[in-house]
Amino acid sequence: MLKRYIYLILALFFIPLALFGRGAKEEPATTAYLTVYAYDSFVSEWGPGPAIVKEFEQKSGIKVNLVSSGTGGQLLTRLVLEKSKPKADVVIGITNELLHETYAEDLLISYESEALKDIPSFLHFDPKYTLLPFNYGNYAFVYDSQKVKEPPKSFDDLLDPKWKKSLILIDPRTSNVGMGLLQWTIAVYKEEYLKWWEAVKPNVLTIADGWSSGYGLFTQGEAPLVISYTTSPIYHIMNEGTERYQATLFDSGNLGVIEGAGILKSSKNIEQAKEFIDFLLTDAQLEIAVANVMYPVNEKVELPDAFDWAPKANPSLFLDSEEIAQFRDKWLNEWTEVVSR
Amino acid sequence: MKLRKGGIADSGSILQSSSFYKIVGTPSVLLLALLFMVPLLFILTKAFVGEDKTFTLSRVFLLAKDPYTWRILRFTLFQAFISTVVSILIALPGAYLLANYTFLGKKLIKAISVIPFVLPSILVVLGFVIFYGNSGLLNQLLMALFKLEEPPLKILYTFKAVIAAHAFYNFPIALALISTFWEQLPSRYNDAAMTLGAKKLTIFRTITLPRLIPPILSASTLIFLFCFSSFAILLVLGGGPRFTTLEVEIYRRARMLLDLEGAASLSLLSIVVNIILVGVYIWTQRLVAHQEEIELIDQKRLIRREKSVLIKILIFIYLAFSSLFVLGPLGGIVYRSFTAPVSRGGKVGFTLRWYKELFGSSQVSSSIMGVAASALLLSFVIAFLASFVGLVFSTLLSSRLRNQKGRYSLSLELFAMLPMAVSSVIIGLGYLLISNWLNPSHLGSRALVVLAHVVIISPFVLRTVLPEYRKISFSYTQASLTLGANVRQTFWFVELPLLRSALITAFAFGFALSIGELNATLTLADSSLVTLPIIIYRLIGSYNFAGACALGTILILICAVVFFVSELVKRGEIK
Repeated sequence: MLKRYIYLILALFFIPLALFGRGAKEEPATTAYLTVYAYDSFVSEWGPGPAIVKEFEQKSGIKVNLVSSGTGGQLLTRLVLEKSKPKADVVIGITNELLHETYAEDLLISYESEALKDIPSFLHFDPKYTLLPFNYGNYAFVYDSQKVKEPPKSFDDLLDPKWKKSLILIDPRTSNVGMGLLQWTIAVYKEEYLKWWEAVKPNVLTIADGWSSGYGLFTQGEAPLVISYTTSPIYHIMNEGTERYQATLFDSGNLGVIEGAGILKSSKNIEQAKEFIDFLLTDAQLEIAVANVMYPVNEKVELPDAFDWAPKANPSLFLDSEEIAQFRDKWLNEWTEVVSR
Repeated sequence: MKLRKGGIADSGSILQSSSFYKIVGTPSVLLLALLFMVPLLFILTKAFVGEDKTFTLSRVFLLAKDPYTWRILRFTLFQAFISTVVSILIALPGAYLLANYTFLGKKLIKAISVIPFVLPSILVVLGFVIFYGNSGLLNQLLMALFKLEEPPLKILYTFKAVIAAHAFYNFPIALALISTFWEQLPSRYNDAAMTLGAKKLTIFRTITLPRLIPPILSASTLIFLFCFSSFAILLVLGGGPRFTTLEVEIYRRARMLLDLEGAASLSLLSIVVNIILVGVYIWTQRLVAHQEEIELIDQKRLIRREKSVLIKILIFIYLAFSSLFVLGPLGGIVYRSFTAPVSRGGKVGFTLRWYKELFGSSQVSSSIMGVAASALLLSFVIAFLASFVGLVFSTLLSSRLRNQKGRYSLSLELFAMLPMAVSSVIIGLGYLLISNWLNPSHLGSRALVVLAHVVIISPFVLRTVLPEYRKISFSYTQASLTLGANVRQTFWFVELPLLRSALITAFAFGFALSIGELNATLTLADSSLVTLPIIIYRLIGSYNFAGACALGTILILICAVVFFVSELVKRGEIK
């Protein structure tokens, strides 16, 4: 009786195996190609990766192997873990925040691309040009215009009791957006930032672990205000055709985050890598901006109308990366102490 | 040799000397060692590397001295304990009903209750918020019914919400493990006690409950370990950093501070704590393990149609409760997948748009033909392979563990449980190392993903099969050997058929766990390998929550079907 089952099980086992094998035949040709590490959402079907790689391959004849390497912070970790056996030629997506750590690992070469002349100087975050800016955004509070008629214009406004349990914030210990908010308060209040965090507590509905859950709660209508990006409304306009969700600028300015790309010292295809970086800073700019829902760095890019819904920060605030590296742990400890009280 | 209950000592020298039982555990041990232990040890040794790259214990000492570490450890243990107790308490009445009565919709309950288990935790959070949230479906319904201005139920963003979400996520494990075991307990002791005049409650307390301890402990350990490393649910639904677990701290060090050494030392601490707990559990489990005679479920001893009204009412209440509790948040996900803004002002209405986009029948700028369909197929294949291999390996390992007692097999059992005791952030780093070392080809990286899934699901499969295996009386094995069968034949034709029910449950669980797995797949696979959870993760990351819910709905459907079919197979309705 059991024998009958065994054949059945074996049959069931081999059918998927056959399908599995079939899917594996699309192996790329083994010409020398550029290996590019990027964060996962860049690489995904919904990210800019697939389209720009195709365009680049057609234009230059250089094959590109785009590799997903998890979230932003993981990129650098991966490069460090792979130091003894490096695979990547180009890395895409290390932010200005991690400049100090990137210097310390000494992984990248300096490359002053031609394209930099079209990029405004406030975005040149790496004076050594090991990381070149390709994409940037500003953190902002996004509000639900059905519930909020007068959006807050400053951190002080957010302390108003009328916002009781109305804010969704994000934890800086587990998310870059959360870290951005913490740094933004530091950029605005300097030494006094903890006072704001103490005072805002009654107005906070929850502090989510990441942008995804925080923004998910917000669009679900749990609270009318969430920390996100100035560019967030663009998505809703372009994909859902609704103007319901809007971003508010703060008078003090909004913290900026710049994503950089760089070429690895270990690369054996430096020239091709430079060509790819140039492409990233010029022809690929529109595709990246639209798919990432962020601003392009290149001033010459003509943006779709939906970008009118993303107000430009005035000014874009940045903390010094040395300062960030030095105090990050201390800030997080103090923050945890105050917020979990 | 020491004599134990059931008497392994007298079970014959054939069993002890048989090479069959000695080697059957080897494949799973090897796989665990290569894919899990080696990279893990490599990462963990970083805990002992000082600033000047030499060996130091100072990092570990410093950590052990920090009162903050102990505070979060205490809280981590506390919330995991409460969550476990609550999950078991919710599961027990259900397990009783499932094991002892037959009623309409029974199979459906079993199938549905397991679904939360396969969902990525971010979808669980979303589902909870959509249903129980301040502007969730439940509150909207109540506000409409009673014409209220304010949402009446403020359940979320408290500690209670965390426990509820943990229970939602985990009680299905307890329900499945306990009821599978319970169904096959011979009723003769109960009958004897009844004949002797014992009350039903006394029988339950003194006969049934003690015999149920093995599956209860088994389920508790799994649930405890799950909650121990809880992360998103705790932070979001708990309302923020007041509720911090060790896992959050490990994440913070590894990902935000890029302090791998610090993350490794914290992880070491949590592994030690978990190993002690699991060790205690395995030890207790052995003390209380009885050899029972399994009754084959085909014999339908349990099929009892209850005439009493009280039981009918109880069944009804439990059904209503579990539907609300489990179906509510699941329904929330389904609901969201069918809604979209329909006006510029953002009013929402019914739509099939997300499904059309996923399956490529409507072309939108950001969708690609058939992404979801191919991911669906791929996920299915991976889950099938992984759960099959996992089942084979774990069954072989169980067979070895049953036939061997003593310190060696205790450490082997602990070893097999390890993947559950280690933080997923640390495991993720381990996978990075593996893929860098092996530098797999296209096909190789797929095989690696399947094997990683095998490692991840093995503790579950083992915990489902092993208690059942231990229940098989050695006298069956002996009888078979005496009658002339060799050890191999005994394994295939005597032991395996007795395990049928547990094997099916284990397979279904393994399948569910694998089809919902995200972390390892994301790290190990090259970007062409796209599974359902990866698409869900990517959709959510690019604002498309409704699309993610649509895929979540598909995941829910697949798992409901798999569990439903497994129940049918178990009962012999499909042969």
